[in-house]
Amino acid sequence: MLKIKKFKIFREFGILVALFAMVIIFTALNPIYISFNNIIDIIQQSAINGLIAIGITFAILTAGIDLSVGSTLAIVIVVVGKFLTSGLNPIIAIFIGILIGFLLGVFNGLLITKLKIQPFVATLGTMSVYRGIAYVITGGWPVLNMPRDFRNLVSGRVFNIIPIPIFILIGFAIITHILLNHTRFGTYVYSIGGNEEATRLSGVNVEKNKVLAYGLVGVGAALAALVLLARLGTGEPTAGQGYELDAIAAAAIGGTSLAGGKGSVLGTFLGAILLSALKVGLIVTGVDTFWQFIATGSIIIIAVYLEHVQSQLYKK
Amino acid sequence: MSDQEIIQFNNVTKVFPGVKALDKVSFKINKGEVHALLGENGAGKSTLLNILHGVYQGYEGKVLIKNDVIKFGNPHEAIQFGISKVHQEVSLIPELTVGQNITLNYEPKKKLLIDYDKMHEEANKILDKLHCNFRSKDLVKNLSIGEMQMISIAKALFHDAKVISLDEPTASLTSSETETLFRIIRELKANGITIIYVSHRLEEIFKIADKATVLRDGKFIRTFDVEDTTKDELIKSMVGRDVSSFAKRNKPRRFSEEVVLEINNLTLEPHFKDISFKLRKGEILGFAGLVGAKRTDVVRTIFGADHKDEGEIIVHGNNVDIKSPLDGLENGIGLIPENRKTQGFVKNLNNANNIGLACLENFKDLIFLDHEEKIENSKVFIDKINLKPKDPLYLTRELSGGNQQKVVLAKWLSTNVDIFIFDEPTKGVDVGAKQEIYKLLEDLVAQGKSIIMVSSELPEVIGMSDRIVVMKEGRLTKILDYKEFSEEKIMHYAMEGTDVEDKEV
Repeated sequence: MLKIKKFKIFREFGILVALFAMVIIFTALNPIYISFNNIIDIIQQSAINGLIAIGITFAILTAGIDLSVGSTLAIVIVVVGKFLTSGLNPIIAIFIGILIGFLLGVFNGLLITKLKIQPFVATLGTMSVYRGIAYVITGGWPVLNMPRDFRNLVSGRVFNIIPIPIFILIGFAIITHILLNHTRFGTYVYSIGGNEEATRLSGVNVEKNKVLAYGLVGVGAALAALVLLARLGTGEPTAGQGYELDAIAAAAIGGTSLAGGKGSVLGTFLGAILLSALKVGLIVTGVDTFWQFIATGSIIIIAVYLEHVQSQLYKK
Repeated sequence: MSDQEIIQFNNVTKVFPGVKALDKVSFKINKGEVHALLGENGAGKSTLLNILHGVYQGYEGKVLIKNDVIKFGNPHEAIQFGISKVHQEVSLIPELTVGQNITLNYEPKKKLLIDYDKMHEEANKILDKLHCNFRSKDLVKNLSIGEMQMISIAKALFHDAKVISLDEPTASLTSSETETLFRIIRELKANGITIIYVSHRLEEIFKIADKATVLRDGKFIRTFDVEDTTKDELIKSMVGRDVSSFAKRNKPRRFSEEVVLEINNLTLEPHFKDISFKLRKGEILGFAGLVGAKRTDVVRTIFGADHKDEGEIIVHGNNVDIKSPLDGLENGIGLIPENRKTQGFVKNLNNANNIGLACLENFKDLIFLDHEEKIENSKVFIDKINLKPKDPLYLTRELSGGNQQKVVLAKWLSTNVDIFIFDEPTKGVDVGAKQEIYKLLEDLVAQGKSIIMVSSELPEVIGMSDRIVVMKEGRLTKILDYKEFSEEKIMHYAMEGTDVEDKEV
């Protein structure tokens, strides 16, 4: 792993360098960018995408994908919203939300492992099914008026300074990092993505570990849902549309190979922050919204290209 | 240069960062001869071919064809110059027709559109020359591996090749397909085409080659006239030391009568039917047969990679239902598969992780993985298998073929299985590593483990086995005892499958 580790540090170091370069450029254009509040804002902005992206990294590492994360988020939002407005204890509601996310992910995993449907197609299907369920639950209407105590619990600020979602993001990143690097499950996730057949022929229960990985994707989406619900105070069944693409982008920028077997939680975490730093920077410097799309897309392509260049260098 | 010589390598040196793959290699190849290229894995054969075929550009020294110094910018230029390669792993597009594959990128055209009539006509002409019984319009995916190889040769002829190199062409061929290939090679030779032939199978060199050039560690050793040399002499020059390439047992055979695995009427349609045999403790049970005998399917089913239709698998007296490799592992059965790259090891994992893959569940901690324990565990087995380099953190994919195979073996050594199934344990492995693998097999049975060894190399299966199961087209045709072993007998049961002529064999 020594050689690989060097490479990994290098890779994540590269994102950091890009991040710093970006901070310097945006600060030069508008000094407000470097202000404490703005930086807190950048990290907070990245929380939702970061949570989903870290989750989706597990699916991608197994050489799969999960397109249904946005719809999973919508179901969790409306269900937890309904429970909260009917007076359920916020702590219990949060656990129910996480459980729902996990189960929706597990369902994806079962479609992929038991019915042998390709991950892209299986989750393309559930993306639509889950979205439909979210609409059915509320009849298409948003769930309004989230109780204050829930909003404070999830989206408040510690000492009135640091937003709680930042802690949720970092906490989830630490737990998933440990899962990936210090448990058998993590080793199997890498080896399934690297060579599923060889892993299966080593007597590893590939199906179980894949299902768990997709369950974890669901948990990431559920956590993002809770943050979004607390921040907005309303639960819309339309929430989370297109979030899967931002999440995949963060993972790709972070060095996760869409072919599976390669990537890290730290990389995805930094990828999400970089995307958010870019978006905030473009807003702060007054760049037109249309150009923001172009900039975001270009960054993805450049990052993945540099990744390729780096791995070629590493080979030699 | 005389008219005879077609290719001349002149002080060719190729350096990769950290490795001198070729070191001042000079020799020549005559027109219309079959010239074998020999050497262990890593001796520089592939590098030399890659230079000749324009895959590598940056090298020192000169390559002359006829009298011209050549420098191809890419493989296409080499092909157009009449130098074609038939790849080790046949590279064809299965969904296209034979004709489309042969003419790929050089399709005959009628204005802007492809002229299919002309394409098939030209392709069929070449196929006839090669005595192929398939046609240009057949889809490649419906053909056998041997037939696909013929397409590669046809492709070379389509490009009017003067030099064709074949890299391990018989690795996946049945013996009748090999015979056909040899006939074709002789005809090509008669037509003045020069053949460069790379193979680990020395028997073939003596059947087909005129000259044999040996490379070792990137250096030219010697060009032999095949007529005037012997296997032992070739091997000696390949490895630089006296070893017998022949598998043979050094320790006395002492298996017990205790049956560890009993297979009764095992059936998996449409692959194989009614397979029954017993494996005894401390025994190496060879599995011989031609390609298509479905030996791999049988052993995969016993291990649980495939699921049986019918029949019994009895392990240590217990009738068990093995549905997955995990069941196989739990019943003490391990499989070292035929294709280590696609089935044996995981390319993005290091040695410690690859070795640990099957045994992590045995570690103490139930949730967290102790990396130290994993690495220490792998070191034990890295020592046992004499891995080079002995580094648990080295990526397995960067090892040589033989060492990769040893890692896959170590993965199973690290579990507590007592029945090892080897599917072609020395396929694509160089002579030195072969010897080490044979020794590991012997050590295993000496410890009371039992082995099933599928092998297509007759000297190997004869040299290593205590008994040999012979299969033909999904049926078990004979179980031979040690005293009855002979190549002729095995081939008889593998090809004819009957007992009738037994006395005459």
